[in-house]
Amino acid sequence: MRPLVEARGLHFRYGKQRSAEAPWTLTDLSLQIRSDSTLGIVGESGSGKSTLIRVLAGLLNHQQGDVEFDGRDIRDWLTSSSTDLRRRNQIVFQSPRRSLDPRMSIGRSLSQPVRALDHRKPNSDELAGWLDRVGLGSELLKRFPHQLSGGQLQRVGIARALSVNPDVLYADEPVSALDVSVQAQVLNLLMDVRVQLGLTLVMVSHDLGVVSRLCEDVVVLRHGVIVEHGRAADVLAAPQHPYTAALVQAARTVSLK
Amino acid sequence: MPPAEGAFRTQSAQSKRRRRNRATKYPLSLVLGAVLVSSFLLVALVSFFWTPYDPAKISVPDRLLPPGSDGYLFGTDKLGRDVVTQLMLGARNSLYVSVLSTTVAITIGALFGLFVAGLRPFWQGPLTRMVDVGLALPGILVALVLATKLGPGNESAILAIIIWFIPVAARVTIGPAKQILALDYVEAAFSYGRTRRFVMLNHVLPNIAPLLIVLSSVMFAAAILIEASLAFLGVGVQPPTPSWGRFLSEAQPLLEAAPYLMYFPGMAIVLTVLGFNLLGDGLRTILDPQQARTGII
Amino acid sequence: MLEIRDLSVTIGPHQIVRIDALDIAMGERLGLVGESGSGKTMTAMSIIRLLPDEAEVSGSITFDGRSLLDCSDSEMSKVRGKDIAIVFQDPARALNPMMRIGRQIAEGIRLHMKMSKEKLQAKVLSLLAQVQLPDPESVLRRYPHQLSGGQQQRVLIAIAIACDPKLLIADEPTTALDVTVQEEILRLLVSLSEQRRMSLLFVSHDLGVVRFVCDRIAVAYGGNIVEVGPTDEIVDHPQHRYTSALLGANPGIPASEHIEQFVGQRLEVIPGSVPAQGSFPVGCRFRNRCDAATEQCMSEPAVTELAGGHRFHCWNPLGRSVDAATG
Repeated sequence: MRPLVEARGLHFRYGKQRSAEAPWTLTDLSLQIRSDSTLGIVGESGSGKSTLIRVLAGLLNHQQGDVEFDGRDIRDWLTSSSTDLRRRNQIVFQSPRRSLDPRMSIGRSLSQPVRALDHRKPNSDELAGWLDRVGLGSELLKRFPHQLSGGQLQRVGIARALSVNPDVLYADEPVSALDVSVQAQVLNLLMDVRVQLGLTLVMVSHDLGVVSRLCEDVVVLRHGVIVEHGRAADVLAAPQHPYTAALVQAARTVSLK
Repeated sequence: MPPAEGAFRTQSAQSKRRRRNRATKYPLSLVLGAVLVSSFLLVALVSFFWTPYDPAKISVPDRLLPPGSDGYLFGTDKLGRDVVTQLMLGARNSLYVSVLSTTVAITIGALFGLFVAGLRPFWQGPLTRMVDVGLALPGILVALVLATKLGPGNESAILAIIIWFIPVAARVTIGPAKQILALDYVEAAFSYGRTRRFVMLNHVLPNIAPLLIVLSSVMFAAAILIEASLAFLGVGVQPPTPSWGRFLSEAQPLLEAAPYLMYFPGMAIVLTVLGFNLLGDGLRTILDPQQARTGII
Repeated sequence: MLEIRDLSVTIGPHQIVRIDALDIAMGERLGLVGESGSGKTMTAMSIIRLLPDEAEVSGSITFDGRSLLDCSDSEMSKVRGKDIAIVFQDPARALNPMMRIGRQIAEGIRLHMKMSKEKLQAKVLSLLAQVQLPDPESVLRRYPHQLSGGQQQRVLIAIAIACDPKLLIADEPTTALDVTVQEEILRLLVSLSEQRRMSLLFVSHDLGVVRFVCDRIAVAYGGNIVEVGPTDEIVDHPQHRYTSALLGANPGIPASEHIEQFVGQRLEVIPGSVPAQGSFPVGCRFRNRCDAATEQCMSEPAVTELAGGHRFHCWNPLGRSVDAATG
């Protein structure tokens, strides 16, 4: 089966294209993401993991290599059918407070993707339904972000992303900014919606424990290069690359199990 | 020296002061500023409908009467005109000049600032520097040059203030706008297909609005001061249209005989400018804590 | 060495911290674990009296026989940095970006000790070596932004231990660091504590980290210490349900052979979230999230003391036979 998302020889860097000194953030990166799978992208700061998902989702333009979504080059998608690309790829961000416009009510924020991509205003039943899907009550629609807790805001962010029924949900450290007890709730939520909606979930995380729980496959990034990839159970149980081994060992040191 | 997080201070156990519960919702500066500014606005607006005396009426026998004289609360000027009336009309002129120039300057400046904030670094750098150059322009000088070319009067004053303030508004906008553009909800907006223009107007602008409100109150104050200064120098609005600044300059030669002619317009200017500054300060205080919870300012 | 009794910190109408008893012995590493609203940072700050003006503190904090809450401001500033030192979470914010590393460390020392220039230099170099920074001579001359996060944190630790404090308070010192760097810093803290017989109060939201570093763990919720005891006891036989829930909520990497079976398995969840200040229920503050809450829980639970210094506040504890949640 053809992978849903594929990258071949991907190179990306920030900054002016002509400047030769700007270092590559991502170098010669190739990966495949199967439809309906869960992929964890693991790496430390500076690994390029956040950049990678933005390139795959079509938010950043890569300089070299190919990125394909559903068999078509992403540049092609962006020029001729960017709306569809956007509809099928959504992102959940790390910081719950920064991912919602503080001056917009929850209901209004929630309705943005549908307004932008489908050019229609969702009615209140739909909005309530989306909130319900993430375990929140419709009374939150009239409230503003500063009145909600971090966990609630993160759920709203997820609800917003799911409102357009994407194929792929990219999650950039979705629980790092949350309290431990709330983390579990949101992780469970991600697991549930993934199954219910048949999503492909691509999650960036520095926390191997979280990755081991949610993801079937894993990719380990270091300085913009994939050093190891494979089934999460295999990679984490028996890492081949010394860097992966170091990560796993460090994670085990502070793991409770 | 252990680094201390945030604004903590040491707690003296021996003097456990009981902190009064700060139930004040509105800071003093805001209240005071609002009172002063609304007085100013009231006076200026009322002057359109009513003044104690006909402003054009000259009564030479009544010239230079001191304040408190029969029927003349603040006295009369060298042509016998009632000072109160003249002050009210001066307020009107100040209002006209400052509202017009500030509104235009902030609108153009903020929009330009938004535009620059959204540019790629390649263009953003030079344009920001350009704005900085604009900031460095000596405003009064520009005003004087304009007055020479276009003739003295409100028009050249307004134009000068606009030219002077556009870079200020732009510069003040660029920083916060860039910060907001780096936030996740902006990235989210792009991820569901919003255009740059939509983001600028619907996400960035509302979130820097408090900043602009505060800026405009401070700009009003400055504009009033500039109008008065230009009138004082003789290049502002010409007689017979009243202006506080011109009253001041006309009062100079009469300082010994009638010092009150300088006090009243001077106080009017001081109180009005102070009022706007306090208002801006107060607005920033009440708008700040809300914003602090939610992101930017 | 450090004894906290009946500590109460109130800000406005809210009681942020209420601890009846908490001790740290000499050379002991105590972990203070809690989420937001647990009062853990406030508790740490009240020890060195770095609280906001509006905070009202009562109770007693005795350090080496001295009552810290009765000290004057100037006496307290002699204690800070010398007898009790503190390391914060974000090293980049704690270091002066305009000052070279060597000078920042030296300043900390000079505040409390008089020393000749040569001795000072030697001491700074020795400190940098003790925190395992390679090439101390070169680090001396660098500015903070030229160091990595882990290196910056080592520098902060160097500043903290410069005057041989008896107690080091570390507030989330590795939260902002990568996991491999975190391990190094944690090991460093443990070894420094052991070598110098320096007590460590390690404040964190991460139970796994605390378990690695500390001999004893205190679990905080809503400003109270709900349970405290030796690390192994707490992790293997938690009595308070919040402790057990925290243990279960933290996924951690399972043992290699178990990873497969845990993929896709839901995590144990503590229902609801930490209430805002002022919204805590009367009595046991955890009771509206606890599945074993009874009527009795509407009054504050008395303390129960088990062998080995394991104490907890709960009317319906889990009991000895129950093992820690394996999630």
